[in-house]
Amino acid sequence: MWAAGGKGLEAALNDPAAIIGMVKAAELRGLGGSGFPAWFKWNAVAAESGDKYLICNGNEDEPGTFKDRTLMEHCPHQLVEGATITAIACGINHVVFYINPEFNAGITAINLALEQWRASEWPDRIAKKTGLTIDYRVQPSSGHYIGGEETAAIESVEGKFPFPRSKPPYPSSYGVFGHPTLINNIETLSNVPHLLRNGVEWFRNQGLGAATGTKLYCLSGDVLKPGVYELPMGTPLSDLLYGYGEGMLVGKKLKAVFTGGPSNTILTPKDIDVPMDFESVAARRSALGTGAMIAVSQGTGIVKKVAEYVSFFAASSCGQCPSCKTGTHNMSQLLDRIGTGQGRRTHLESLINLCNILPGSGRCPLIDGAVKVLDSSLYHFREEYEQSLRD
Amino acid sequence: MTRKLPHKEALSRYRPVADRPLPPSAELGEDILRTYHPDYIPDRCVNLTIGPNAGDPCHRQLAEILQSDARIDEADLAAAPEEETDVLVIGGGGAGCAAALEASRAGARVMLATKLRLGDSNTVMAEGGIQASVDKDDTPQMHYDDTLKAAHGQLDRGLAAQMVMDAPDVIRWLIQQGMQFDLDQYGDLISRRAGGSTAPRVLHFRDYTGLEMMRVLREAVFNSDVEIRDYCPAVELLSDQCGHCAGAVLSSLRHYQYGLVKAKAVIIATGGIGRLHLNSFPTSNHFGAVGDGLVLAYRLGAKLRDLDTFQYHPSGLAYPLHLAGTLITEGIRSAGGYLLNAANERFIDELKPRDTVAAAIIRECLEGRGIDAGDGTCGVWLDTPGLELRQPGIIESDFPKLLHLGTKCGIDPRQQPLLIHPTLHYQNGGVAINGEGASTVPGLYCVGEVAGGVHGRNRLMGNSLLDIISFGRRAGVAAAKRSRGATLRQKKIAVEHLSALRRELMLADMPLSHKGPLLFPDYAKFEKDSDYDGLRQSARAAG
Repeated sequence: MWAAGGKGLEAALNDPAAIIGMVKAAELRGLGGSGFPAWFKWNAVAAESGDKYLICNGNEDEPGTFKDRTLMEHCPHQLVEGATITAIACGINHVVFYINPEFNAGITAINLALEQWRASEWPDRIAKKTGLTIDYRVQPSSGHYIGGEETAAIESVEGKFPFPRSKPPYPSSYGVFGHPTLINNIETLSNVPHLLRNGVEWFRNQGLGAATGTKLYCLSGDVLKPGVYELPMGTPLSDLLYGYGEGMLVGKKLKAVFTGGPSNTILTPKDIDVPMDFESVAARRSALGTGAMIAVSQGTGIVKKVAEYVSFFAASSCGQCPSCKTGTHNMSQLLDRIGTGQGRRTHLESLINLCNILPGSGRCPLIDGAVKVLDSSLYHFREEYEQSLRD
Repeated sequence: MTRKLPHKEALSRYRPVADRPLPPSAELGEDILRTYHPDYIPDRCVNLTIGPNAGDPCHRQLAEILQSDARIDEADLAAAPEEETDVLVIGGGGAGCAAALEASRAGARVMLATKLRLGDSNTVMAEGGIQASVDKDDTPQMHYDDTLKAAHGQLDRGLAAQMVMDAPDVIRWLIQQGMQFDLDQYGDLISRRAGGSTAPRVLHFRDYTGLEMMRVLREAVFNSDVEIRDYCPAVELLSDQCGHCAGAVLSSLRHYQYGLVKAKAVIIATGGIGRLHLNSFPTSNHFGAVGDGLVLAYRLGAKLRDLDTFQYHPSGLAYPLHLAGTLITEGIRSAGGYLLNAANERFIDELKPRDTVAAAIIRECLEGRGIDAGDGTCGVWLDTPGLELRQPGIIESDFPKLLHLGTKCGIDPRQQPLLIHPTLHYQNGGVAINGEGASTVPGLYCVGEVAGGVHGRNRLMGNSLLDIISFGRRAGVAAAKRSRGATLRQKKIAVEHLSALRRELMLADMPLSHKGPLLFPDYAKFEKDSDYDGLRQSARAAG
């Protein structure tokens, strides 16, 4: 543990009632993709009574997203501290680390950190101060992409297949085994100790412009230096691409950026100046999502790239909602056909039709994500689709 | 330049003599290899800067293509047709055919892609024979010892041991496929002694053993369920999201277009690098031997080994010049043919290992005891008339291919000696493999000359034909086994590893001007007549 370890927890124990207020004032968001204000869910769970659950969501499985993995492998103590503060704030007594089973190193690191935690004086101090006995466990998820969705994660923690539930009831009132449940992303929770330690003002100042805090951006694709970069929330995309990523490969030009793993609208070079915070990206008809930025260069075939992502969604659909199950599959097949030069105009027309009828037809947003990436690629790169057709 | 005897004058001085004892002056000395072998030319090597072998020494010319940029881009594959198969074999020589046959027999769907036609390979040029310890006085242990000694100890002992133990079964398998061998009057296999070996162990059919082997394998492949794609060189391998090998991009020379073949396992059997003409040596190799397999495997992250050592076959034709580099079988020396310098003297025990004999020939030439071939190159005599004197009729009965070569040269080898000089023959190193031919990249198998570690720093005659069948069969079975139960669905299969390659090249400040794999040597651009490269550009513009 580094020198500052525990300071956030110290601050939290001094005044447990103030935590949610601080989180609200700092405008801490859900950093797993939604950008939903964290305090809102916390408040809802804190208002409930009885057994409560906190699920630390580390199911991370989207193409191009690898931030939670880095946090779990390298800073497991920070995560445990953040989860504990959250538990204290909301009176939660069960903490579940719900982690993608392929992150062996992450799982090992968290288990080790928990062992050290149990051996420390903290559990006693917390029990004395707040009367709360928190039990922690690490539960590998089923490894399905859909298992990262809140209600699917709850099903999975209950030991079932991760089928998303319909909402309401919301997890904050009816979650794991019917108990109130709070679900936050690993990155969100990892921010909490720093917020508590340094105060609201400091946290707000970390962001650029109106944005607050920092964000882990996952840069990948045809850039010289891909990787995870922790930058102030609201850093312009151009800074990330050309400053930290050192630009595109082999002198190629940027063609498009797939954002947020890649279930959002594609950004094109004209959007290169966009500050990467939730509002600014949304203003360009896209979304920040998980902070994944997959930059592709002029040498890339967009149809094949989109086909690859849509086939990922098709393979990830849980099959619960017929429109999603068949819709993603159909889109994937049509894209494959066009991508391999076998497509006809009717196929393209069916694709466009699917884009119009599918959104909003599933319990969870998976189908919307698949349509969004396809729809925006059709909007920006229609010509490329037309050129790939046989007739 | 040292003085040389002109060809004509040397020929007039030559007299066939039956008995020529090795003069005592033919001492080799300790440092013959270090001083004269082309592997030891100063500055021939550089250290690789990128890839899994970064820091290892590698021949300069080979390093250039190993660290080259890819020929294709993702955009070139837009609208490219896709196919799926279980096992994709790249290379239509002996190793590729053996692997394809065994994979197919093990129940896999097999596709075999070859740069030109099936059988256009170095296998057909293997003349001497195939080693297998089947004689009653011979043992696999002796075979292993000889292989180890010739390799200067620097081979993968497990691989060599497995290969020599496989050898008798390889012969049985070949005979089952229908291959003929020279037999004695009792129907037993006849063997010759190879240079550097302690017992007669080379089984052969006339002096075109490889051709006979290829004939049989080719027919067997045609009669099997293996799907053949000829004129389809592989220009890149495909990788899945884990970096495993998942197929290849083929470039059809007939239709001038790229096609993707997704496969659960890929076997590379593309042969060697002779046509790179390392150190400006002529080569005995086929036109396709430009190291494609090494480049493809290296880019995908396969570990290579022994990239600084190559075999120069002692008896490559030096005269006439237009046939320079053509191989003359080591069988001549096995049968008792001598090597003579300009003074008509023997200068080495002809049955030493190949690297030593080649170094001795180069020494003769450099020290002025060579014969001028006409353009400044130099050679020594292969005393075929002397052999004919000692064993009348042997050339006609045992070496018909040599007679045929003589006809092409306008020389009757029974009357006139042949001028020879070492020729670039074989790549000793290659992709590091295990006993099943698997490289360090899951899903990628390498067999034959493209694989390394079996022969160390010098190969024995006849061990390469053994190598291709022994490892070809094993890799075929292993690849078929791997493909069973595996699925290609839900896998993201693309050429993503090229981004990593370009990133590495840029970070290492390497030029991106060289493109690889070469597919063909510069002087044989089969693509020249097509709009093949134009196709790439138009695809780019569209992208």
